[in-house]
Amino acid sequence: MKARWHWILLPSLLLSLGLLLASQIAFLRGGFFRDLRLGRMGTDFTLANYERFFTDPLYLDSLLLTVRLSLTVALLTLLVGFPIAYVLARLKSRWTLVLLAGIIAASFITIVIKVLGLIIIFSSGGFLNRFLMWTGIVSSPIAIVGNPGGVVIGLMHFTMGFSILLLYSVVQTIPRSLEEAAEIHGAPRWRVFARVILPLSLPGLVVTGLIVFNLCMGAFTSAALIGGGKVYTLPVLIQQTVINQTRYGMGATISAVLMLVTLAINGLSVLAMSKLDKRRSAVA
Amino acid sequence: MMNRYRALARARGVASVTWIAAAFVFLFAPLVVVVGASFDGGNRTFLNFPPQEFSTRWYFQIAPDLFQSLALAIGLGLTTAFLACILGVPAALGLVRAEFRGKAIVAALFRAPLQIPAVVIGVSFLKLYYLIGDVFGLRLVGTLPGLLIAHLFLATPYVIGSVVAVLQRFNLRLEEAALSLGASRMRTFRRVTLPLIMPGVYAGAMYAFLVSFGDVPVSLFLGGPGMQPFAAKIFNLMEYDFDPSLLAISTYIIVGSFAAIYFLQRAIGLDQLTRSGGG
Repeated sequence: MKARWHWILLPSLLLSLGLLLASQIAFLRGGFFRDLRLGRMGTDFTLANYERFFTDPLYLDSLLLTVRLSLTVALLTLLVGFPIAYVLARLKSRWTLVLLAGIIAASFITIVIKVLGLIIIFSSGGFLNRFLMWTGIVSSPIAIVGNPGGVVIGLMHFTMGFSILLLYSVVQTIPRSLEEAAEIHGAPRWRVFARVILPLSLPGLVVTGLIVFNLCMGAFTSAALIGGGKVYTLPVLIQQTVINQTRYGMGATISAVLMLVTLAINGLSVLAMSKLDKRRSAVA
Repeated sequence: MMNRYRALARARGVASVTWIAAAFVFLFAPLVVVVGASFDGGNRTFLNFPPQEFSTRWYFQIAPDLFQSLALAIGLGLTTAFLACILGVPAALGLVRAEFRGKAIVAALFRAPLQIPAVVIGVSFLKLYYLIGDVFGLRLVGTLPGLLIAHLFLATPYVIGSVVAVLQRFNLRLEEAALSLGASRMRTFRRVTLPLIMPGVYAGAMYAFLVSFGDVPVSLFLGGPGMQPFAAKIFNLMEYDFDPSLLAISTYIIVGSFAAIYFLQRAIGLDQLTRSGGG
């Protein structure tokens, strides 16, 4: 019985490993050859593309922008999403299911359609801007197309739904009795939050934050549409480099750097988390 | 003392209701606006929400190739979901039940497509397909099989993830009971194992469909003329050639998604979907 389980895994492993290696090698090796544009490449091994990436401000700025936007979205998504997930998980009402269904349905819908709606909401003659100008909050219409703040809003729409669902299942694993115990012993609400809820959900928060961060680092659709050709995150830059300029070598280099930086930031956060865990268990 | 406590609790209740309401406004506003603006009969260069004059005329001006791309996206999504289950369920069973060295590495390999940005998957498959075309003379760019292979690569990890999640909670005694009562292994698998992991399979299939249906970057690179799934098509039209009939067909998608959620809830229960998670 035991031996058989190996074999059923093999076909899908071979297929996905084959596709992974073949596509990544076919593409990424191009980064090590001189880019002659129009899809042609030199024949000698060189690090010129990588050198260019780390000396040309165009690429460095794009990298910094991508990291900064992704961090902002990850933090904002946790800040907005966690209280909602918490309330939903503690709510004992038949409305919980309806609210959850609403969140799932909203995250069901492809981001292209949501971006379409966002652009209408923030269009200069749209009702939001007319309202804001009527109340005098702003003097000129706020636009989201072509500015990083708009991309943050678009990315939050991309990540919010499933973040709430993930955090919801995190809160569900914290027994309510722990909070009650703290309250019975006279802890005020904020201390229950700071000493019970937050520490117990910290691993879940970090995992969710990292997933959101990774998604944003690679997010293309909302960045391209809301960025309107002005906000160059790395994924947008990759598409431009490969499609508009047919520079496969440079495209491969940007992709490799994007993946390595994302991986490094993930590694560092996991490391920091385990350090923190160790220190805490040493104290306890 | 008691009154103050009660007042505090009420204030907290009000605060959390407000917070949830604000979040729902945030999540739903773009959808409401798309549906609302699709019924606006005003001039076409300007999008109006709330609608200025009610009209359904955009619903009659949806281009046939938009419907075609929608049909393509649904067909592609369903095929991707089905094949991802065929590949993903055995992989998940193997990952949870087999004992072998390097299991963690194999699990990481199965998750690898999730770590690669979709744009990079799109470009690298484009490059791979060109290579295959050069060497074997097989054309994959702009064809249905080409899109399907790349979407399967994107979506299978989701099925593996959700089935693994179910299998880890699986009570092996149930299988032992069936075997000890004389059921064959095949029968045990069909009558005990499979029904118990089905919620994970459904959830995985749903994620796989959503990943395929919502994908823009991969389809953008690998699709071709007449072979562009819905999301990529809308993306292109929004960038170059906007038309209010896009709002009308988007409204169909929004209504369809809500209907799908309702039927999923009736058929398998939503908590099954939320509990098994997406990889």
